[in-house]
Amino acid sequence: MTGQEREFTSTGVPPWKSPVALSVALHLLIVGVALTGWSWSSPMQEPPPSSISARLITQQKPEPSPVVEPVEQPDPDQEQKDLEKQKQIEVQKRQKQKEEEARKVAEQKKREETKRKAEEQKKAEERKARETQEAEAARQKAEAEAKERERRKAEAEAEKQRQQEAKRKAEEEKQRKEEQRKREEAERKKKEEQARQEAERKRLEAERRLQEQQLEAQAEQARKARADEARRQEQAAAARARETQMLSESQKYQALIRERLSQAWYPPSSATEDMTARLQITLLPTGELAGVKLVASSGNTAFDNSALGAVKSLNRYPVPSERDTFETYFRQFTIEFNPRRLR
Amino acid sequence: MMRKVSFRSFQALFSAVALMFLVVTGAQAELLIRVTEGADSAIPISVVPFAENGNMPAGDKVSSIVQADLAMSGEFRPLSPQKMLSLPSKRADVYFRDWRLLGQRYVLVGELTRNGDRVEARYELFDVNREERILGETAAAPASNMRSLAHHISDKVYEAITGVEGAFSTKLAYVTLDRAGGNARYRLQVSDIDGKRARIRLESKEPILSPAWSPDGKKLAYVSFETGKPVIFVHELGSGKRKKVADFPGLNSAPAWSADGQSLLMTLSKDGNAEIYQMNLQSRKVTKLTNHWAIDTEATWDSSGEGVYFTSDRSGGPQIYYMAKPGAEPRRITFGSRYNARPRPDASGNYVYYVHQRDRAFTIARTNLKNDEETVLTRTGSDESPSVSPNGRMLIYATKQSGESVLTVISADGGAAYSLPASEGDVRDPAWGPIVR
Repeated sequence: MTGQEREFTSTGVPPWKSPVALSVALHLLIVGVALTGWSWSSPMQEPPPSSISARLITQQKPEPSPVVEPVEQPDPDQEQKDLEKQKQIEVQKRQKQKEEEARKVAEQKKREETKRKAEEQKKAEERKARETQEAEAARQKAEAEAKERERRKAEAEAEKQRQQEAKRKAEEEKQRKEEQRKREEAERKKKEEQARQEAERKRLEAERRLQEQQLEAQAEQARKARADEARRQEQAAAARARETQMLSESQKYQALIRERLSQAWYPPSSATEDMTARLQITLLPTGELAGVKLVASSGNTAFDNSALGAVKSLNRYPVPSERDTFETYFRQFTIEFNPRRLR
Repeated sequence: MMRKVSFRSFQALFSAVALMFLVVTGAQAELLIRVTEGADSAIPISVVPFAENGNMPAGDKVSSIVQADLAMSGEFRPLSPQKMLSLPSKRADVYFRDWRLLGQRYVLVGELTRNGDRVEARYELFDVNREERILGETAAAPASNMRSLAHHISDKVYEAITGVEGAFSTKLAYVTLDRAGGNARYRLQVSDIDGKRARIRLESKEPILSPAWSPDGKKLAYVSFETGKPVIFVHELGSGKRKKVADFPGLNSAPAWSADGQSLLMTLSKDGNAEIYQMNLQSRKVTKLTNHWAIDTEATWDSSGEGVYFTSDRSGGPQIYYMAKPGAEPRRITFGSRYNARPRPDASGNYVYYVHQRDRAFTIARTNLKNDEETVLTRTGSDESPSVSPNGRMLIYATKQSGESVLTVISADGGAAYSLPASEGDVRDPAWGPIVR
């Protein structure tokens, strides 16, 4: 029972009103029921109602909690007196009823017995049993019906209470939600304000940064311009150095080619010192001969042929592996054959 | 489409710029390599043994003779047939790559076909590096004259490669001395330039000296002591007829033909001192060309036929002199040593060859007439009687070998030396015959 109570508390029902109200309502209900209920002659005599009452309590409302008790305390004597008085009246009433009933029963019994003895003596026993049984069944039925009615009533009552409770809860929920909404609204507004402030801050920050960047960029540009100039000068110097290097590289290979061709050239006997044959050579980067063209004849076929033969006899020309030097000087060049020193 | 066009125009612009750059650099840096010296070694050539169809006469193979001729010139270095990777006889079988691998510059292939009593030679010469046929010919000769056929081929090959007329078909005249049996036998002989097919034209117990070829190659003039004193004879080789042309008192020596074959230069001492005379062979009339108290001898025409080289000791020792015209004031040519004699100008007019003594050794030297530069060509030490081939490319001279005189052929620049096969006894006074057309 206490667990259930705690559950209630935990569901968020305001504790200051619910138990008191419930308790008062409950007591009033009990008194009402006790006053109106005819069948409640004696709690001891009637076992079922207790069970019903127990169920009702379980179903409908929480047991008065210890916290509630003190609230009832203020005038227990007055109530007690009222209750006792009532009880006395009730007892007297019941007593009277009982006596009346007993009298009636006695009369009845007397009549019935007489009647039975007169009419059907022999079957009375079994019929009586049957009737008793039936009566009992009917009674039970009636009782059940009463119980059912009672239950329905209680249920309706409970339903009503429950609806009220639900309504109240809904009300509370609504209120809570309203509050929640308001809170959220406030929160939202606060956040919006924060966001706005943040945005403003960011905007300012960005502006500041942009300015900084512009300054930085200007500085960078100046720096870059200086660096570019330096690099240009450096490159120019490197280019000059490279040209020089290429030239010396080229001269080295020129000498090698000249030497190879000198070894490969057999100037014919008819050669004279004033004979000159010019050949245009085209090489592949591998040093292989791609083409040769006689661009100026010596006027002596044997001489021209000796030059052509020499040029074609080299399997591979010594050429720089450096591509630029090759392209600049050795992709295509001219060889002049002219015997300065005849044998 | 738009983008394509713009890309293309960009490309065009770029290539135009690149081209400009190329042109500019090309103009700036177009490389020119001058080659002013050739290989010092002889030209590698492969004379592939000729294929033969039908019976060939016994004796040396035509290709072997050609190979020997080319080797003798000193300008060629023939590959031994054993080293050849293949023996092609026609173009289809010539794999230039193989010959290039062997380092060859030229390949001569051919085949001989027997046709009755004649042999026909079909031959082709290829330039290995240019992969071109530079000569292709068919020639025929009597089966008995295979050497002439071979020398003819040698001449053609030589000319095709060097641009200079070959002289392998020319003849040599020389004198041998045979002392066998205690009697001296002088013999004037004529042979091929490789010394083969030598034939004796005159035999004498007395000395025979200074044979000289007539320009047509049909006559020899020489000095014979057969009459007890030196007398100049002209000898017709075809008929064997000989005429005494100069039998003046005193010295009759050193005959030399004029280019037209109508006159002889000679040394005569009929007036007391040895002087140079020119004799008209028709009239036998002599004209004195020099007049000096010193000895003037060994006269010879220059290549132009206008000037005369001769030896004179007017400076105190023998030196070479030159008269621009007969009778003109002689100009001294040689100064290199105290002894320079027997001048032999070549046909080009560029050089004059002579016997040159230095440190008691007699060698053959030449002077470049354009720059007066003197070059000693031999080193053997007892060298004499130089004679230049008519194409100016070879030189023959007499030298001593194990006590005997032999003939040696060298290339005119002093390169290779080739000794002619020794005939019995001493061999002297070689004279290189003209090219006979």
